[in-house]
Amino acid sequence: MSEKLQTLIIEDEELARNLLRSYLKDHPDIEIIGECENGFDGVKAINDKKPDLVFLDIQMPKITGFEMIELLDHKPQIIFTTAYDQYALKAFELNAVDYLLKPFSKERMQKAIEKVIHHIEHAETNIEKLEELSNFRPGESFIDRVVVKDRHKIHIITVDKIRYIESLDDYVMIYTQDGRHMKQKTMKYFETYLDPKNFIRIHRSFIVQVDNIAEIQQYEKESYVVILKDKDKTKLKVSKTGYKKIKEVLHF
Amino acid sequence: MKHPLTNNYRLLLSYVLFWGVISIINIVLQVFWYSVPLTYSLLDTFTNYVLYPLLGSSIWYSIRYNSLEEVTVGRLIMFHFIAASILCAIWVYISFAIYKPFIKEENSFLQNGLPSKIFAGYIMYAIYLIFFYAVNYYESLKEKIKKESEYKTLIREAELQALKSQINPHFLFNSLNSISSLTVSNPEKAQEMVINLSTFMRYSLTHGEKEMVTFERELENIKLYLGIEKVRFGKKLNAEFEIDAHCLEAEIPNMILQPLYENAIKYGVYETTDQVTIKTVCQCDGTILRITLVNDYDASTLKRKGEGIGLRNIRKRMQIIYNQPDLVKITDNKTSFEVQLIIPQKQPIS
Repeated sequence: MSEKLQTLIIEDEELARNLLRSYLKDHPDIEIIGECENGFDGVKAINDKKPDLVFLDIQMPKITGFEMIELLDHKPQIIFTTAYDQYALKAFELNAVDYLLKPFSKERMQKAIEKVIHHIEHAETNIEKLEELSNFRPGESFIDRVVVKDRHKIHIITVDKIRYIESLDDYVMIYTQDGRHMKQKTMKYFETYLDPKNFIRIHRSFIVQVDNIAEIQQYEKESYVVILKDKDKTKLKVSKTGYKKIKEVLHF
Repeated sequence: MKHPLTNNYRLLLSYVLFWGVISIINIVLQVFWYSVPLTYSLLDTFTNYVLYPLLGSSIWYSIRYNSLEEVTVGRLIMFHFIAASILCAIWVYISFAIYKPFIKEENSFLQNGLPSKIFAGYIMYAIYLIFFYAVNYYESLKEKIKKESEYKTLIREAELQALKSQINPHFLFNSLNSISSLTVSNPEKAQEMVINLSTFMRYSLTHGEKEMVTFERELENIKLYLGIEKVRFGKKLNAEFEIDAHCLEAEIPNMILQPLYENAIKYGVYETTDQVTIKTVCQCDGTILRITLVNDYDASTLKRKGEGIGLRNIRKRMQIIYNQPDLVKITDNKTSFEVQLIIPQKQPIS
């Protein structure tokens, strides 16, 4: 390779960073351009510095390595590192993304780098694989937070703060007590990963948090609207199947 | 199941005694009240109360292979009627074979008894039937209770085994990674950490043999655990202890504390970038040891979903060991999380 790979290390533990740095120090193809201790800094560094390669830890404070992927404008080559996470491993194997299991040897790491170089030389990107990985959720459980980015700030929204979600073509708008946030995800995604005991898809375009429903009004014959508990008394349309679902969850 | 009379010495003795007493009463009554000649009375008594009980003990086998639950009522009645008839025939035949040399023209006592003897044979069969069914029922009930209590002990042991904290693989592999890093930068520290990790692992692997340990021993292990985690997390992890010295002698279930610290690290230290303090306060009061663990956590990034599996396991384990509810108390202050364990003591702490 003519030019060295601009490489970023994102890892919360100092000793783990030290080890990676010492492994990479005399690698002919690598130039370390930065290190980050958490996911927030990581997203910012990737978007600003646009590295070629990122060593990304999955378990990190604030936001996880997977959640980070959703927030990237620039998608670099990523080598994931993890100590033990059976769900993550499954996701990697499904998507054939390279990963390193801690503790790993220098030789193993070198192989991963060779693979990345091969990808770059053949102009293969793993963006699609990354997209799929970002849809990955640990275990069979429901999500308990959503990460979003407005301009330059990252917000973590715990699901109890979500009032409702509206579909906007390829995006969704998430309405919380404090405002609204756009996110590039499908309604199907939220319908699947939000606990259906708390969130109901009342319409093709709306998912509503159950506790946030103030009343349900008949609007026309066989059509209903829900009125939300907020000062604007937001009204949302309810479809026929949506009405059935509300009935099921609220038992009336 | 073996025959209850050969299997149970006391039952056999009672059986012999019972029929012995009945025989004596019969002879006394016949000879002194009805003036039956002694020879006849002895013959009658022998066939009725010695021969029949001997033959009748075989009725056991007829009920063993005709369980009340498995056979229809019709078949059961049919079977026992045939069995009773065969037994009766054998019994009457042997009885009269014995009588034969003694039967005389002038005394028809023995011959006259024939119809009532056949009738008595069926009645006795029915009584034996009830007796053996009762014995059988009692024996299988006893066996069932014994098996059940064995199962219960087994289940309890298995449950306790499962509830005891297992070393979290995440912890193990991350620690090994730290060691791997230290071998390059600080070999002495790496060696120290290997030793600490080994000591901690040994404690948690061998703890199954002994259920209870002193609080002091458990605390040492916790400090070892926190020491290992401190190598990983550095300044981010801050542990404080406020322990009354005389509490150290108290007895507590081993490895009951470690999952609490593991939780505190998982939800407190792991999820923030700031320093997190895990504070342990311990008081003892008579026969109660009270351990309180408080850690800060960042509620903005984490929605705590009540009790995790770690806390549930501790609650269950405490319940099994002490058979008392409410020994684990949890308080969520939204910025800090508090768990209190109340550990009853057999002896008051001085």
